Amino acid sequence: MKKSKDWGIKIAPWVLLAPNLIIFAVFIVWPAIMGFTYSFYKWDGLGEKVFIGFNNYVKAFGSAEFWGAFGRTAAYALISVPLIMAAALLLANLLVKDIKLKGFFRASFYWPKMISFIIVGLSFRFLFGDSFGVINYILEVLGFKSVAWLTDSFFAQLVVILATVWSMAGYYMVMFISGLQSIPESYYEASQVDGATSAQRFFLITLPLLKPTTFLVLILSIIDVFKAYPLIKALTGGGPASSTKMIVQYIYEEGFTKSNLGYASALSMILLVVLAIFTGIQFKINRGGEI
Amino acid sequence: MKLKTLTIAMVIMACLLSACGSTSSTDSAGTTASAGTTASEQSGSGSESAEKKKLDFMWFSDGVEGEVTQSIIDEYEAANPNIEINLIEVPYNDYENQLKIAISGGEPPALARVTYVGLFKDASITFDDYVDAESFKAQFSDSLDPFYIYDGKIKGVPIDTTANGLIYNKTAFEKASVEVPANPGDIWTIDEWIDAMKRVMESGDVRYGLVIDKTPHRFSTLLYGQGGRILSEDLQTTEINSEAGIRTVDIMKRLHDENICPASVWVGSENPNDMFRTGQVAMHLAGSWMMTNYRDNITDFEWGVTYLPVGVTRSSVPGGKYVIALDNTSVEQEAVDFIEYYISKEVNQKYCSESLFLSPRNDLADMEFSFGSESWQIFANELANSSPDAARDWGYEQTSALIKEPLLNGVAEVIQGKTSSKDMLDSLAEKVNAELAEINS
Repeated sequence: MKKSKDWGIKIAPWVLLAPNLIIFAVFIVWPAIMGFTYSFYKWDGLGEKVFIGFNNYVKAFGSAEFWGAFGRTAAYALISVPLIMAAALLLANLLVKDIKLKGFFRASFYWPKMISFIIVGLSFRFLFGDSFGVINYILEVLGFKSVAWLTDSFFAQLVVILATVWSMAGYYMVMFISGLQSIPESYYEASQVDGATSAQRFFLITLPLLKPTTFLVLILSIIDVFKAYPLIKALTGGGPASSTKMIVQYIYEEGFTKSNLGYASALSMILLVVLAIFTGIQFKINRGGEI
Repeated sequence: MKLKTLTIAMVIMACLLSACGSTSSTDSAGTTASAGTTASEQSGSGSESAEKKKLDFMWFSDGVEGEVTQSIIDEYEAANPNIEINLIEVPYNDYENQLKIAISGGEPPALARVTYVGLFKDASITFDDYVDAESFKAQFSDSLDPFYIYDGKIKGVPIDTTANGLIYNKTAFEKASVEVPANPGDIWTIDEWIDAMKRVMESGDVRYGLVIDKTPHRFSTLLYGQGGRILSEDLQTTEINSEAGIRTVDIMKRLHDENICPASVWVGSENPNDMFRTGQVAMHLAGSWMMTNYRDNITDFEWGVTYLPVGVTRSSVPGGKYVIALDNTSVEQEAVDFIEYYISKEVNQKYCSESLFLSPRNDLADMEFSFGSESWQIFANELANSSPDAARDWGYEQTSALIKEPLLNGVAEVIQGKTSSKDMLDSLAEKVNAELAEINS
């Protein structure tokens, strides 16, 4: 009787996990294995697959377009991520305090995360459109010259970063609020007694004790930004020219516009490795809670 | 307690599995139906239903043609009770991918509407095996041959024909007292065209003179007019960096430098259809497929169609849609039977007149339309005066994939002044030639 009870206890978690494991295996693991296999073939999705070994990888590492898209994505992450983190931390600091309508403000700042990235992209295009955008209309009414928001490479990149920060900051704000709430109030009370200023309290108590949360936000936002596609596609289409085309759009176009599915699979594998590195670091932090 | 937990877990699991099971069963039936591969209805028990053939027809719509086709299907099913055709509409943006997935997944639909037959020629049936090829081909305009005949075999069937053309804001032109060419003898040169648009802009009624769809296909309208072409006669190399190509890109730059075209379309990603519909643009270089869209959506001003300007020569770009019957569906004969009905004179006339398309059939060349008769005459005239290079370039299924990205980016860079027309086209040609060599190797 006891033996069957032990067996039941051992098997119960797997029974409960089974539906998710099946879905994960069918929709994530199996396509990833297929993608890895395809990366060694030349294939247009319909005709015969031709085995070409590592040629797709060689082509990728020798492609100026690949490095261009990868470099742009890295630069986009380098600028966007600190801004996302700063905005999220600022909002969290303001909304962790006992202020009126705290719940309303928290929900409002989190709300962009609940909107589809495509809607965010289209909304920003409506705002920043060169010819019929709201902001240029207001500028013209006020007697200013309109700005080439989406047809000048610099401004287009700026608008993409702005839209990214707006859409993601609220989500990470919630994580920071959780981190801030876990800092014991007594530290702040003691520092106040010692005469510490607000800035000193922030830099000497809040930031060090928030380090695990900060690092988690850093890694997650880097992964998010590296996967950016729908927002940018809807906002600028990757233009002007290719100035806002990131790595995922490059992969999509190779795979589905040019039908180079083998090459696109190899590119996906390279991106997978990059994201796996960040995810590995995140797992390590989650387990140990230390950097 | 733990046994209780296990029991609850087992019950939940059983519920989930049973839900999966029933969904799977429904999906399985749906998939079988949607694949159109099953010759007889699996679920039916009676002899009548056992003989019923199901065909899936994968479809995308630009306007009302899906509704018109559904009514044609209804009539066909009434006359053929053993046939059931399921029209599956998929958004065009994802259409070709979905069709490829269905084919490579081993569950192709019986029928599919496509823009480029060549992309699917290896997966579709050869009509020559089912019909008398010569009399079948003779029904359609010869100019369409490169779009559906590959290696001398019929791989698809034209159902409608389109022509690129110039749509204009009639109200704005009238207010500016600028006349558009009313017959082929009055056609503008490029300079006259630009001057006319400038005069309409100066009248203050519109903000821009022209929007051009941001596609290589629409760009090529100007290219053929300049006497150029995208690919060589044998389709082995590109000739886009010819003098004609350079002149074409120079015209694009001039149109933007003189603020006739808004940069937001070709440098940005603004939708030219939306811009024209605001009434703030004098002309739209688009195509005959926009007729239903503008008929149904423009209410603030009058619009019409006029002749494309002449460069070295006149040319539009023929296009259209085709129906293919997929291989390995076990209902190939039934698919061919339906296509023969669908493309017959009476049915195609209904389809084209109600959907507002030119017919690919020779015996419907002078078809009457309930809307915009003059406009259709102009589109037909544009087609009749088009360069044969246009059909050959666009009949080759790789053309768009080869030049789309480098051309759109390249023209944007020329407009921005980052490079010259010649340098951009030379670089594009080098890239395209390398890809063509790889394709043909």
